[in-house]
Amino acid sequence: MQVFNVPKSIKKDCTFTFCAGCDHGVAIKLVAQVIDELNIQDRTLAIASSGCSVLLYNVLDVDCIESPHGRGCAVATGAKRAFSANGKDNIVFTYQGDGDFASIGLAESMHSALRGEKITAICINNTNYGMTGGQMGPTSVLNQVTTTSPMGRNEQYHGFPIKTAEQIALCDGTCFSARVALYDYKNIINAKSAIKKAFEYQIKGLGFSFVEILSSCPTNWKLSPQDSHTRIKEELSKIYPVKVFKEK
Amino acid sequence: MSHIKINEAKCKSCYLCIDACPKKLIQKSDNIGSMAQYTVEFNDTKNQCLGCAICAMVCPDMAIEEVVNDK
Ligand SMILES: Cc1ncc(C[n+]2csc(CCOP(=O)(O)OP(=O)(O)O)c2C)c(N)n1
Ligand code: SF4
Ligand code: SF4
Repeated sequence: MQVFNVPKSIKKDCTFTFCAGCDHGVAIKLVAQVIDELNIQDRTLAIASSGCSVLLYNVLDVDCIESPHGRGCAVATGAKRAFSANGKDNIVFTYQGDGDFASIGLAESMHSALRGEKITAICINNTNYGMTGGQMGPTSVLNQVTTTSPMGRNEQYHGFPIKTAEQIALCDGTCFSARVALYDYKNIINAKSAIKKAFEYQIKGLGFSFVEILSSCPTNWKLSPQDSHTRIKEELSKIYPVKVFKEK
Repeated sequence: MSHIKINEAKCKSCYLCIDACPKKLIQKSDNIGSMAQYTVEFNDTKNQCLGCAICAMVCPDMAIEEVVNDK
């Protein structure tokens, strides 16, 4: 019996252009598997953002709109409301980096959650701005050395990192908010369940559903893919607990 | 026989699958891939593959394209 094959929602013969060992590829595979399992490929619209996450549209075989940096949830809001106004039950989700979702786009993201927009947002937390070369992002942890915090992130000077899944859970319009990780098989399976739940909440129309994914960026962290996963397991998941924070 | 199919052209030599396989059935091959490093190959002379698909789930590049479980 075939127990694994390339998901139907992944474009035939596409190439993943992420760096070797980057968890973006695993995250997109999980999204594709969930879309296949829920049988929603023909009515799903993806909103890609600026950052490495934009490469989603090269590989995921669903309609896609590229949003300006940080505006994924605003674009998704418009698309979902337009579908609903026309009696269509299309599924709309965003796929955004942490810089995109929680820094430049924080207002759009949080107000979409507060308004209870019936969309799903997936945020890849790799604790830096990946595509532009590893600058400090809103999620860079204290003491983290990046190209723009060469002495390490300092709370006196740079402030504290944002706990996105916890913040989104505090919004009354949020029906589901979870943080997951991808550093081993068990976490990958749990991440897939959370992504599936987030889509199911949207299908039920219960409000804003959100999954933050702790993800590796071996290139900018200057670590091997294996050591990047060790960093997530030993360091990041202590600061950013892997947990469901809200489930209505 | 449970087995996997690896598309070497997609392999980026991250070796996450080598660490993840519970039976250690994936190893470096003799071929140089797109990252100028050895790609990986499936080597199961004793038919130990569990057909668990752990390797395919951890591969970030979908280079492990098929897993067949015949147990
Ligand atoms: C308005 C605007 N400002 C700046 C940029 C440049 N820019 C492109 S990608 C990016 C960083 C994205 O980082 P993140 O959202 O964390 O995603 P990652 O690349 O890590 O997946 C920036 C600043 C832009 N495209 N648009
Ligand atoms: S820069 Fe980082 S996030 Fe972007 S593809 Fe490379 S490893 Fe992945
Ligand atoms: S996990 Fe995938 S890309 Fe990495 S070495 Fe194995 S087959 Fe190649």
